[in-house]
Amino acid sequence: MEQLLDRPEFQSAIIPFFVALLVYGGLRKLVAPAWMIALFAAFLIASGLINGLNLIPLTGTRKIILLVLASLILASLAPYLIRRLKLQRVALPVLSILALLWVFGRVVMRMDITDIVLFLAAGVALIVWLLWSFARIADDDAKFHGAGLGLLLGVGLCASAAASALLGQLALSLAAATGGVLLAWVLTGNATGSGKTQTSFSILPYVLAASLIGLAGVIFARLPWYALIPLAAIPLATSLVPVKPATRFFRALLNSMPGLIIALTTTFWVWQAGSTNSSGY
Amino acid sequence: MKKLILTASLVLLPINTLLAASYTVDPSHTYVSFAINHLGFSTMRGKFDRQSGSLDYDPGSKKASVTIEIDAASIDTGHDKRDQHLSSPDFLNAVEHPTITFRSTKTGWSGGNLASVTGDLTILGVSKPVTLKVHSINCGQHPFNKKQVCGFDASGSIKRSDFGVNYGLPAIGEVLDLQIELEAVKN
Repeated sequence: MEQLLDRPEFQSAIIPFFVALLVYGGLRKLVAPAWMIALFAAFLIASGLINGLNLIPLTGTRKIILLVLASLILASLAPYLIRRLKLQRVALPVLSILALLWVFGRVVMRMDITDIVLFLAAGVALIVWLLWSFARIADDDAKFHGAGLGLLLGVGLCASAAASALLGQLALSLAAATGGVLLAWVLTGNATGSGKTQTSFSILPYVLAASLIGLAGVIFARLPWYALIPLAAIPLATSLVPVKPATRFFRALLNSMPGLIIALTTTFWVWQAGSTNSSGY
Repeated sequence: MKKLILTASLVLLPINTLLAASYTVDPSHTYVSFAINHLGFSTMRGKFDRQSGSLDYDPGSKKASVTIEIDAASIDTGHDKRDQHLSSPDFLNAVEHPTITFRSTKTGWSGGNLASVTGDLTILGVSKPVTLKVHSINCGQHPFNKKQVCGFDASGSIKRSDFGVNYGLPAIGEVLDLQIELEAVKN
């Protein structure tokens, strides 16, 4: 059993997928943000298996783990804590940019001024773009989770194809958990905690996880920066899917396709571009 | 007999006094290397290509101190892709924590010889005490450039999880054997 838990495919695919599926399946009729609780449980277990529940030293990667978990809690509670919609909309980019500074502050302080400006401009642009493009699809369960699945899968595969299996596994575990939620939605109905019950804050976990892990891949692990451009287009591409099939299975499948195609194509591109992978092991 | 001791002391004293000095690490003759178990099959070896530091050595009063700063991104296992992975957040996180340091805090002596150096090793910003066994230390005049040089060979072991380098445990070994061969030139 212990040997199975040490294997990357169990840590970042099989376990988070089934944890999310079961938690969501059990809670979906009880609480509105069931998918966030499912993702929280799946990511907590997966990151514990991948990284160990060890926060010292508090590296950028561990800050990302904390922030993703915190964003899931915040997204669940925010509608009760911040009732004014306007305030929610302002809080989202502000919190995301503070998260960016916290994760990369140590590295940014060593950069020269040109690199600081370039990095912060690119980071803020990525976050604002993802917030905007996810907000457009937040009231459609299939599009919202389909785009989340594709984006996190792409970020995870690209980080792994660059030089960090750790960052890759973290993103892939979230993608697997999102896959579990999406499958549960297909099997059990539409009470996913998104749709009409979705709030402004519900988009925060996907945006924060994808942008921070993606940027960490670029800064810490030699992921080509231009790989983030097609990946960032996934929510927009998903929003452009015109047809709305009658069955949930085809809706989930159709709305996941743009993300999956872009994720796999970008990963192949990164791999072909001569970016390194961790095949030394 | 007293005369003999006095004469010997007078002869030896200047040698020890001569050795008591501050030295700067010569990066071209300093090797910081390591060995770690690879998936239970074999031992994988590597080294760091860039390091700097200083040595204070006074055998007369049995005092010594050493500081070594290692560029984490200069890790070299003879395989580029693996080196980039080892520099990534999975292991040394070289962008965020570019320097590995060793600063001695205590020395052990056997007779008149330096036998061990205990110090704080800092990896990923985490400092832990590590004791290096000194196998040999030799000081004298360099035969070609005539500068005063000291060199020592030392080794020790660390557990990488003590420093928060957890990725790949337990498949990739936890215990890292360190070896330092250092030469330093008198300032």
